[in-house]
Parts: sequence; C-alpha cells; structure tokens
Amino acid sequence: MCGALALGCGGRPSTWDESFIPADSGSGLAAAYGLTGSVAVLDTSLGRVTLLNSPAALKLGSRSLALGTDLAAARVSTDRKTLFALSRGVQPQRKADDERPQLMLIDGGTAPKVLQTYTLTEPMSQLVLDPKNEWAVVYGASGVVQNPNELVLVDLSLTGADALSFNTLLSFGGSPKRFTFTAPLAVPGGDPRRFLIVERDFDLVLIDLADPGRDAVTVPFPKTDANTAGTSAQVVYDADAATIAVRVSGTTSVLLLQLAEPAMDGQDFSVVPNLVDVGGVPSTIDFVHNSLGLRLVALVGSSAVLVDPDTATTQSVQMPAAFTGIRRITNELNPAAVPSADGDVALLYGPNISQIAYFNLSGAPGALFRSIEPYDIGVSVKNVIDVPGETFFDRKILETPSQQFYVLDLTTRESAPMRTNGGLTLEVAPDGERVWAYNPGQPGFASVDFASLHPVSLIAERPVSNVFDIEGVNGQRTAVALHLNPGTIDGIGATVLDAFAPSTANARFYSGLELGGVK
Amino acid sequence: MGARFCLPALLAGALCSGATVAHADPVGGARAEPVGSQLPHVQASLGVRLSKVADAGFDPFADSDELVQVSLGLGATLFRHQRWSLAAVGFWDYGERSSTARGSATSLDVHRLTVGPELRYQLLTPLYLFAHALPAFAHTQASLEDNVAGVPRYARDWSYGVEGAAGAAFEVYGMRSGAVFRPRLWAIAEGGYGYLGSSRLLLSPDSGEGPQRTSAVDLGSVSLSGPYLRVSAALSF
Repeated sequence: MCGALALGCGGRPSTWDESFIPADSGSGLAAAYGLTGSVAVLDTSLGRVTLLNSPAALKLGSRSLALGTDLAAARVSTDRKTLFALSRGVQPQRKADDERPQLMLIDGGTAPKVLQTYTLTEPMSQLVLDPKNEWAVVYGASGVVQNPNELVLVDLSLTGADALSFNTLLSFGGSPKRFTFTAPLAVPGGDPRRFLIVERDFDLVLIDLADPGRDAVTVPFPKTDANTAGTSAQVVYDADAATIAVRVSGTTSVLLLQLAEPAMDGQDFSVVPNLVDVGGVPSTIDFVHNSLGLRLVALVGSSAVLVDPDTATTQSVQMPAAFTGIRRITNELNPAAVPSADGDVALLYGPNISQIAYFNLSGAPGALFRSIEPYDIGVSVKNVIDVPGETFFDRKILETPSQQFYVLDLTTRESAPMRTNGGLTLEVAPDGERVWAYNPGQPGFASVDFASLHPVSLIAERPVSNVFDIEGVNGQRTAVALHLNPGTIDGIGATVLDAFAPSTANARFYSGLELGGVK
Repeated sequence: MGARFCLPALLAGALCSGATVAHADPVGGARAEPVGSQLPHVQASLGVRLSKVADAGFDPFADSDELVQVSLGLGATLFRHQRWSLAAVGFWDYGERSSTARGSATSLDVHRLTVGPELRYQLLTPLYLFAHALPAFAHTQASLEDNVAGVPRYARDWSYGVEGAAGAAFEVYGMRSGAVFRPRLWAIAEGGYGYLGSSRLLLSPDSGEGPQRTSAVDLGSVSLSGPYLRVSAALSF
C-alpha cells in the first residue's frame, strides 16, 4: 500500500506547460534582437531569453538566460554588443526576497552571458540607451502614484547602487518624449562635458552628465506661428560650438541654444537662447561647416537656409528640388577630412521626390557652398542607412517607400537599384560586407554583397520573420533566418547559412530551440 | 486500481490466518491439498505495471511521474523441491505517455522485455512467494510534433538494465495438482525496482520528412529507472 502511494506522487515543472509565444510589436518588445555574436529571442512566458550562437560553420547553439520577472523593455546597444533588459520584478512585493525591478546587461558575443545587473527601487517601463554605452536611462514609473518626470540615470561604468542617479525634472507640464545623448560639448570655461537632452511636450531639459544629480536646465519651446504651444520636432547639436538647435513644429523659427560660460555663481555653464526665423517651416535641420564656419542648415521648401549661429543671420541657397532629408557624408567620402577646415558634404533626399543631391559646402573662402549635384534615381528615398565597418564605409543604402532599395557608392556616385518582389526589411551585416533583404512572413530573402553588388536570392523552407548576420565562434559569419510567428503558439526555428557564401543547398534547419534548458 | 490496493490486505490476511483454499475436486468434495503441489508448471499472466519515473527527461512527455503499462507474462517451472521451485519467467510491458511540451504535442512509447529466473516458495497451500532478478531490455520511441518544421520528430533507442522484485501469488481458484493438469487462477502482486540505462532523446523527422538537413532537437536523455508495482491475474497449469 505504501509503495502504491509512493508511486502516485510526483509531477513536472510547470514550465513545460508554458507555451512559447514570440513577442509581437504590440507588446513594445521585438521577438528577436540581432547582436554581434548571437541572436536573442525573447521567451517572455518563461521570463528568459534564448541566445542563439554559431559554434561552428552551419551550426547553431542555444543558451537560455533568465531575465527578470515581467519584462518591460529590451534594447540593443548601438554597437550591438549588449542586450539591455528592463524588468518590473514581482509586483506587488509581498516578501523580502521577492524579485526587485532590475536592468540586466547581457553580453551578445559568441559566448553570451550576463554582464551586469542593476537593481532598481521602483518598476519602470521605458529604457533609453546612450550610443556610446556610458549611460542608460529608465523612466515611466507604473506605481500607484507616478512621477512621469522622474528619470533614473544608470552610469554603466559603475556597479550596484552607486551607478544610479535619480533625477526629477521640473516641468512646465508634459513628460519626456525623446532623449539625445550628446558627444562632449566644448562648453566655454570648463572641460568638455556630455549632456542628456530630454524633449518634453512643451520644453527641453539639459542634464549635465558630468553631475547628473545637479539641477537640470529647462528651456521652454517657443509658440507656433498660430500662437499655440510649440512642440519639438527635432534636436541637433554641434559639439565644438556647444550649440543645440531645436526644430519646433508649426513655426518658421528655429530655437538655438548656445552653452556659454557661467553667468552667475554656482553655475557650471549658462544657456543663451536665440530664435531664428528661417523664412518657412523647415522640414529638417542639421549643423554643417562651410568656408565661413559653422552653419545650421534648414531645408525649407526648395531652399536650404544657412544660419550663422553666432549672429543669427541667414542666407538662402536654391535647391533643385524640395528635399526634406539631409545626411552629412563628409567622413564617408574622406575619413581624414576635418569638416571645420575642409567643409562638409551632405546628401539630400526626400520621400516625395525622385532625386538625391550632393550638397558640397567646401567652397572657396567666403563662398556659401561649392556645388549642388542632383541625381535623378527615379524613386524617392525615405531613409538612408549607414554601412558599418572599414571596407565599404563610403556606401549608403537608400531605402525607398516602394519595393526596392539602392546601394549608393558615395565615392563614384553610382547607385545600384535592387528590386524586390515583396515588402522589404533590410538588415546590414555588422561587418559591413553585405545587406540582407527580406519580407517578414515570406520564405524568400536575399543577400547583396557590397563588393560585387551581386544579389543571392534564397528561398527558405519556412516563412522567415527575421534575418541576422552574426559572428561565429571561429570567426566565420553565419546568417540566421528565424522562423517565428509572433503572437501565436509556436516554436523557435531557424535556417542557418554561411553568410559569406549563402546557399540553401547546404543550409541547415533548426527548430525546437524553445525546449532547451527547460527545468 | 482497486485490485492494487486491495491485494496486499488480502495477502496479509492469508499469511496471518494460514487459511487453506477449498479446491474443486474432480472426483468428490472439497479437501486440502498437500503443500507444494500447487506451484505452477507453466503460467501465463496479464496485468498492469505501474512505474514511477522520476527522471527529468520524462517531463516533456508526461505531466506526472507515473508510467502505466500493460504487462504480459509467461513462466515455466524448471526445478522443484518440496516448497521451493525455480522457474524461468519473462514479461513484456508496453505503455505510453503523452502530453505537451510548451505547446507541442509529445508522446513516449515504451516496450520493456524482461527474461530470467524466478525463485518461488510455497508458504501456504494457496499462497506462494517469489523473487526474481531479470535482465531488462527496453525500446523507447519519443515523438514531438514540431510546429515550426511542420512534421513529427522521433527518437528511437534501446536501453538495457536489470530489475529485481519480490511478490506473492494467491490462488483464487484451482484444481488439485498431481495426476491431472488442470488450470489454476492466481492473483499476483509484486513490487521492485527496475533499472534501465538512459535513452538519448535526439528527435529528428523520419527520412524524407521535413526541411532538408534538419538538425535534431536534443532533449537530453531519459532513464526509465524507478520503483514499480505489478498486479496481474495468471492462469497456470
């Protein structure tokens, strides 16, 4: 009898009963994130991330790491080396050992591991990363009483509680909308220092990252031309001139903020605002250098208005078309160029015109610019994608609203159109050697090698949700075409190819990866 | 299941009382048999085996640790001396568990074959005790319905081991043995421990199924070792 009773006991961990459901965009989380040496697939039902790496050619390994409970946000660092995961922890807390809210950093290299964990005091829902990997900002409290203007700045060079700075922004109303981490700004009378620019509904806040606990500087936005509250549409800055420019929606004026020497005791710097009318509502702004020095360029209709930030004087240049986008390409054309001495070159484009133009501002002394060279490429450009690495740094990918993209060689000024037979998602390989194009939900995808511009079309045996190009353990590069079905009960599957010579004739298929490490 | 729980009490009662069983006499009325005469010459049994599989490798295929198998047995007495006898016995146990693993349907089929000697001792007229240690061979087929590949995956493997058990058989109906071979009906219960080596769980689609060059899903291994109970009804001559 006792034996019978003993045999009647025992079960399995409840984790086996938790279906794998890939995250969908509605949750604010991506189903998968591409890192340098691995692909991170979120497994929110088990509160973990499954990291896929390539231990050998055409091999796929997996390792799952526990994330915090109730994942709120996940981001990949700009260099793709680290995955940041923000979790709310166990809420409400009932026991002393209930998991706290935390920010976890995971090394996304070929041997994924947890790098660091920062324990937070309150659950937060939003995460912003510094492109230079020095800071992270978490905000968006979700407690009974919420302070939308409370920011927690995490100094990623420190560990533990010392890394956290709590900063409540004084407000004229509104809450944080966008964040910009600046490069070190050459503030007069002090050492260069980095700032965090926080754009809110009606104002902008400058946080000195050299002393984030210090009172921040708040600058209200000007009203629109219709005398309504102005909101920020774009923020740009120039590090050498320590000048920030704000494009405010609904007004022909651009707000210039020059950081100057302290105006009173107790200040590290002062902010000198200046409102400059550029003659029309600008579609975009950026700082450039020409032979006369630093200028803010504002694209207004078919004109480029150049603003001297010191004197607020403006000069207009007629453009061949109404460009709405600008991208400086000076160092892509010549990595040794010094824009302040040589002048900038900018690429102009727009989603509503079929032209691009090279705006060369390196004119003779006293000249506003040297040349504007338009090119009719027959399609409009909605986005310009950089190519990383040292080999093809002078290439840009022009993303169009239609089913094609262009590979633009800035040096030869030749563009290679690539047409697709479906929608388009582009993934530039982190080594900068190729770009992958795919249409989520379809089995077809392709690789375009920048050296030959030869597209290799591939048809997977299952629909592809993402394509990532990762470094393998032995230095090989592996393309991982994921087969995920966001929002539905599914599994983790992938087709694995040699990224250097992709072919479905020798690709390997993997699935069931969600079952690994279940305990 | 009711038989499993009732049988030990029945056996205990028999041991305590030393009762004899009235047997049908082909010639006349009921009478007691001499001890040792009832031990079966040949025996066939049908029963149920309940094993406890605590190995974590069993978890993808079952939401509890029990493995219930139908059990067929055969035995033949090789040697007899007074109350003792030595028999050769063999069992074939078959059972299946099915479940879901993170939303994917799974199942595990287990065939187990055990063959070896069994030592018997007739304690009372209707009751004999036995013990055996049997080499065991098991074939497992694990399956996983792969939602992504769109095909079932299988892992088939053999494993080997040994199991030891002791039990008792109670004669519930029988004729006097001796000059005439007549059938006897037995209720048998045994408990023991079965050891089996691990079976690998590298699940792959069958040849020609699924995407090309599909890599196996590695769920590790499963060991079906564990304690077990078997209750059966046997017919002997």
